[in-house]
Amino acid sequence: MMTRTRFIIAGTALILATNLVALAGVAYNHSGEPESILKLSQRELSLPYYAINQHDNSGISLSLRWRTLHVGSDTRNGFGVNYASWRDASAWLDQAKLAALGFDVSKPVDSTEGRLHYNKLLSKEVLLVLELDGAAYQSALARAKEAAEQEQSLFAANPDNPKLKERAKTANDRYLQETQKNSRLFAIDAGLDNTALRAKYADRTRYLIVRGQVRPQLNEVDHKPHLTGYISRLSIEEVNVPLSFRPLFEPMLRESGRRTQSVPHYEVTLTYGKRLEPWISAVHVKAGAQ
Amino acid sequence: MNPLSRTDAQKQADEIRIFQKELARLEREGVLTLTESQHTALAAHHNGLLARFTQTFDIDRDARGKQLSLGMRVASFLGALALAASVFFLFYQFWGRFSVPAQVTILLIATLATFTATTWIQRVDATGYFTKLAAMVAFACFVLNIVMLGQIFNITPSDKALLPWAAYALLLAYVCDLRLLLAAGILCLIAFVSARTGTWSGMYWLNFGQRPENFFPAAFALFFIPQLIRHERYAGFASIYRVFGLLTLFLPMLVLANWGQGSYLDLDPNVLEGFYQILGFSGSALAIWLGIRRNWSDVANSGVVFFVIFLYTKFFDWWWETMPKYLFFLVLGLTAVLFLFILRRLRAAAIKTGESAS
Repeated sequence: MMTRTRFIIAGTALILATNLVALAGVAYNHSGEPESILKLSQRELSLPYYAINQHDNSGISLSLRWRTLHVGSDTRNGFGVNYASWRDASAWLDQAKLAALGFDVSKPVDSTEGRLHYNKLLSKEVLLVLELDGAAYQSALARAKEAAEQEQSLFAANPDNPKLKERAKTANDRYLQETQKNSRLFAIDAGLDNTALRAKYADRTRYLIVRGQVRPQLNEVDHKPHLTGYISRLSIEEVNVPLSFRPLFEPMLRESGRRTQSVPHYEVTLTYGKRLEPWISAVHVKAGAQ
Repeated sequence: MNPLSRTDAQKQADEIRIFQKELARLEREGVLTLTESQHTALAAHHNGLLARFTQTFDIDRDARGKQLSLGMRVASFLGALALAASVFFLFYQFWGRFSVPAQVTILLIATLATFTATTWIQRVDATGYFTKLAAMVAFACFVLNIVMLGQIFNITPSDKALLPWAAYALLLAYVCDLRLLLAAGILCLIAFVSARTGTWSGMYWLNFGQRPENFFPAAFALFFIPQLIRHERYAGFASIYRVFGLLTLFLPMLVLANWGQGSYLDLDPNVLEGFYQILGFSGSALAIWLGIRRNWSDVANSGVVFFVIFLYTKFFDWWWETMPKYLFFLVLGLTAVLFLFILRRLRAAAIKTGESAS
C-alpha cells in the first residue's frame, strides 16, 4: 500500500501538473500573432437570454451566432440563433467537400447500401471558415430584399387580399431584420489544414477559422437522393466575459431581464489564438445602449 | 496476525460472533462442553481481538451496530454527493465576481486544500465515513478546477480531461480504500477509452455514445483488470471492476439488440439486432457459468439480471401487442419460475462439485 508521504506527493503533483498543462496551453494560445481578430457586434455575439439575478451562475458568457447560406433561394434562414442547426444544407458543403474532409463518400447515394452507409455517418471535427459581413451576407441581404419586393408587388397588384398584405409585411420585416439584427457571420468553407485555409482566406479581420462539427446527410432533391453536409455546431460557441468587461454588460442583462424591447448595441473585439480558442480583448458599448 | 483492512476485521468479528452463538448452542445440546478455564481463555482471546479491532477500525461488534453502520454508509454516500454538488454551485454562484487570476488561484487552492483535508481526515477517521465525504468533495473540486479553467479561458472541450480525473479518483480510492471513488474513476476511464475508440474511427469525441460498440474495449479491459492486478488488500474492488466491466459490455449490447442502426457494421439493422440478441443471451449465460465456476457471485448475479432483461425484451417485442395482458404477464411469471428451477439445479450441482472436491 502507498505510504502517506507518497500519497500526498502523488496527489499534489497530479493536481499541479494538470493545472500547469492547462495553463501552458492557454499561454501558448495567447502567444505570438493572433490567428484572427474580429470586431463583432451584438448581432454576432449575443447576450444570454436570462436576467443575471435569476441564475445560480454568476458568470457571463456571450453566444457566437453564425449562419450558413441556404442552398436554394429560400430566405427563411434569417431567424433564430445558429440557423444551420436546422440542418440547412450549404451550397459549398457538397459531396466533393465531404470527401476532402475525410468522409467516405464512395458508395452510390441511390442504393440501399449507400443510404444505410450515409445515414450512419457521424459528425467529424473539422476547421470552419466564418466570414464577417462578406459575400455570403450580401447574398442573404439581396435575397431578403428581392423577396420583400416580390411580396410587395404582389400585394400592390391585389390590394384587397389580406393574406398578401400579411405576406408583404412579413417579408418586409424579414428584410429589416436582415439589415439590422441578423448575424453577418457566415460559415463559407471547411478544411483540415489551417495553413491552407489561411492562405486562401488571408484577411484575419474578416475570416475566422474555428473548430466545428460537420455531418453528412442525405436529402431529397427533385425526388432523388442528394448527399450534402451540415454544420451541427462549433466546438466553442460561448465566450466568457472577464471581470474587467463585466460592468459593461451587467446593465444590459438587467434590461433584458425586464423583457423590454430595446436592443443593446456594442462592439466586441474577439481574438483567436494559435489553438483557435477565443478571448475578448476589447468591448465598446455604443452610445444610448444602456 | 493483524487483518489487512477494516473489511477483513469486520469479517473476522462476524465470524467470532457466529462461532460464539454456535458454541453456546452445542453446549446447550450437550454436544460439546468446554471447561471453565477453556471458556475463560477463549472469551479473553475473542474480547482482546474485538477490542483491538474496535480501537483500530471502529468495527460493528453486534447486529444492532451493523444496522446503524448501514445507515451511516447510506448517509455518507448521500452526503458525499450533496457536498460535491454544493461545491459546484458555491463556485458558480460567485465566480463571475472575481478576476481571472483570482479565479484560477481559488480553484487551485480549493483543490489542494480539500486534498490535504482528505489526507488529514483519513489519518484520524477510523470508520472511513468522513474520509469518503472528504474524498468526494476533493474529487468534485478537482473536476470543477479543470471544467472552470476550460470555461474561463474558452478551451476546446477534450476527452483528455477524463484521464487526470480518473487518475485522481483512483488515487483517492486506493489510498483511502473507497469504493465510491473507485466507481467514479472507473466511469472516467470508461468515458475516456470509449471516446478514444470513437475518435479512431473518425467521429467527434463527444459523440462516442452514438456507437455503442465504442464501449466494448473498455468493458473487456475492466473485466480483466482484477485478473492482472491482485486486489486482496482492497475488499470489494475486484468485484466493482467486474460488475462495471459487465455493465459496460451488456448495456451497449442491449441497446444494439434493439437499435441495429447504432452499429459500426454496414449490415441490415434487423440482422445486427438478431446478432446482438444472440450475443447478449450467450454472453450473459457465459457470465452465469463463469460466476458459478469461479465463485464470483457478482458476475453470476449480473449475468442473471441481463439474461432476464434480454429475455423479457424479446418477449415484449414478440407478444406485447398480440397477447392479452394477463397471458403476457403469466408467461413472464412462468419464465421466472423456470429460471428458479434451472438456478436451483445449478446451485445443487455446484454444491455437489464442492463436496466431491473436498
